[in-house]
Amino acid sequence: MMSDLALFEPTQLILELTDKNINESWQQSQSAATSTSRWQTHLNQVCLKAFLPWLREEQNSRARVWLKGATLSNSWELVNGTAIALANKRLVLVPSEASDLSELRVPQEWVDIPDWTADYYLAVQVNLDDRYIRVWGYCTHQQLKAKGAYDSSDRTYSLAEEELITDLDVLWVAQELCSEEITQAAVAPLPEISSAQAENLLQRLGNPKVLLPRLAVPFSLWGALIQNEAWRDRLAKKRRGVREQVPVLQLLQAGISNLVAELGWQPVEFQPSFVGARSATTESTSAIALAKQLIIAGQSYQLRILPLGNEEERVWRFELRSLVLGGTIPAGFKLRLVTEDLQPFEGNEDVADTAVEQLALEVALEPGEGLIWEIEPTPNNYGREILRF
Amino acid sequence: MHPRQGIVTLFSTFIQFDFDRFSRWASDPRLRRSMERRLTQMSSQETSENFWAIYWHKAWLRQPQDLARDHLSAYLQEVCFWATQKTISGFTSTQYTIPDCFQVAISGVDKVLKGFDSNQGFNLKNYASITFSNLIRELLRQRQEVDICSDWALLRKLSQKRLIESLQNAGLDSKTIDRYVLAWNCWKTIYVPDRAGSTRKLSKPDAATWKAIAELYNSEFKGQLPFPASQANPETLEKWLLACVKAARAYLYPNVTSINQPRLGQDSGEIVDNLVGEVDDSLLTDMIASEEAQNRDRQQAQINQVLIEALKALDSQERQLLELYYARQLTQTEMAKELGTKQYNVSRKLSRARQLLLKSLARWSQTNLHISLSSDVLKGISALLEEWLTGYYSRS
Repeated sequence: MMSDLALFEPTQLILELTDKNINESWQQSQSAATSTSRWQTHLNQVCLKAFLPWLREEQNSRARVWLKGATLSNSWELVNGTAIALANKRLVLVPSEASDLSELRVPQEWVDIPDWTADYYLAVQVNLDDRYIRVWGYCTHQQLKAKGAYDSSDRTYSLAEEELITDLDVLWVAQELCSEEITQAAVAPLPEISSAQAENLLQRLGNPKVLLPRLAVPFSLWGALIQNEAWRDRLAKKRRGVREQVPVLQLLQAGISNLVAELGWQPVEFQPSFVGARSATTESTSAIALAKQLIIAGQSYQLRILPLGNEEERVWRFELRSLVLGGTIPAGFKLRLVTEDLQPFEGNEDVADTAVEQLALEVALEPGEGLIWEIEPTPNNYGREILRF
Repeated sequence: MHPRQGIVTLFSTFIQFDFDRFSRWASDPRLRRSMERRLTQMSSQETSENFWAIYWHKAWLRQPQDLARDHLSAYLQEVCFWATQKTISGFTSTQYTIPDCFQVAISGVDKVLKGFDSNQGFNLKNYASITFSNLIRELLRQRQEVDICSDWALLRKLSQKRLIESLQNAGLDSKTIDRYVLAWNCWKTIYVPDRAGSTRKLSKPDAATWKAIAELYNSEFKGQLPFPASQANPETLEKWLLACVKAARAYLYPNVTSINQPRLGQDSGEIVDNLVGEVDDSLLTDMIASEEAQNRDRQQAQINQVLIEALKALDSQERQLLELYYARQLTQTEMAKELGTKQYNVSRKLSRARQLLLKSLARWSQTNLHISLSSDVLKGISALLEEWLTGYYSRS
């Protein structure tokens, strides 16, 4: 129940949070590396799901999230805040659970990494218990740089409530009446780092036991690392335990390579005519599949990836079988595929209702598309890996 | 409450409460002398309270910590009293008393003075009334929130700034505060809610969590504390965090007698006269000599006209919403009920109406006052608009 008091100020924007929003956001936060980043992802996700539709409908139909898909959840893994791109301005939502609305605290990344800087920073109170978010003030990059207090211990710039513009209508009117206004202060470029340095940092900060990676090395190094999108994504994935990518097609075409063994995948021959209706019409010559041996609840299983049909169709079959002679997949086992940014899709799951011979999924993929497989119960030594097709 | 008479009294007396009720006006001798001295300096006695309000506001802009703040705080006592009474009248709970809320509101007088534009603003009292009402509503909202929060949930609902203020208010030294704030940050990092939509009933962390918090603190303090410090164990951290909770709760319920007491009895001849002389009186001479007052009146009349025209351009439902809000002070939920619509629609329509008014006033200022618009200028115009709307609807 939303408190009446929260609804009083006409200058603030209050948006209701639906149960659907909260539940979906929570679902989508589950792949985070630590409980800290899971909560950070949840809060940002909740804000975005409430704010963006409102923004599109009321103020700017072309507003879009600055980072897309997996890169967005990767950024939440590392830094609080969500950037939204308007036609030629950028704004950053900075969610906080604080109910006292005394300050806006912006992580330094959004202020001092040249690629990340925005025009406007919006203070958003998230009240999950009462199911609302409240956008209660904002400032420009310039104001934040000029008047904000920099705190070196948590690397934030903060502005007190009195210094903020607490009427959100001013922001939209400014877009119309003074769009030429300079909203950004100059920011010094960050020093470049070598790839050797980056690898080093990735090793060190990729360990999720380092709970506050953004504070663990000097800002110039941290900023230089994460302003590079590839490094940032690798860092986030490493922390989440997503393994490096497996180029499935390449492995199949090139045959056995060192990588195969390293990543635990082996090429195996198979008879296409056995693998289902779709390929029944093709010639029954043998083909190559990738297979991985798994130990689940003490038993041996094999996960196989098989190309189906002709090459243009690009259909792939995923199979889980027991390696024990005559063995089955026990009831309750699940084989699941999710996209790179860990989103489910239609027909992505096969569940054993009773003991079955195999669990199988077939998916059509675009060239270059990536998938992650998951099995319940979780196999020994499981780590998420992206299969690149 | 009986209203005050005379310029000197208006700018030098403070409300005294007797339990929950107004008791009397108490005079601050230092402020009284200060006003008397200024009045005798003037050839013709300026008796308009608005003149003095603007005079002291200008003086405050020059020296914010000085006498001017006290004069204005005295001047705004009545406004604050009525804003308090009106705002809390909707609350049946007995824990919100007028003296209690009044003291919190009046201690926010700096916010009023900071937000008011004495060059363009119409009336300091109107502006103060809005600001005080907002402050009290905020206070009540926050109290409601913390009253139903567990100690541990409360810690998540604090901003760092508020935590520091609370600890300062509790009389802790800066190094202790730094340690507590770091402990709090470590606590927040480790102890996050494990459910999607509920944080209010957060319970006490278990032993393993306390251990993890202590580990984080011990790995971070060398980098984050700007002075040599030592390790802390889970028991110490728990003690510190409970001290934070206590300080934060106390901060929202300040001791009524501890703030904003007039400096009664500080009057002892020469010292006071010296203090009174600190304000540069060229300001007074300037204000009397200049045509500023006339200009202001003319400008205000024009702005008034612009906004009345802009109001006419709104559709009838938008005007009705503004009236419900500014004249009857209904909340958005109440407005929605009255109009048979959803709160969401009320909020959207109110925002549209305000944007249109804001735009009209901004365009007018741009053309007629040759002001180049910026976010900061629009912020000022927005405050002016709020003040005008409050004044307009309270008259009609």
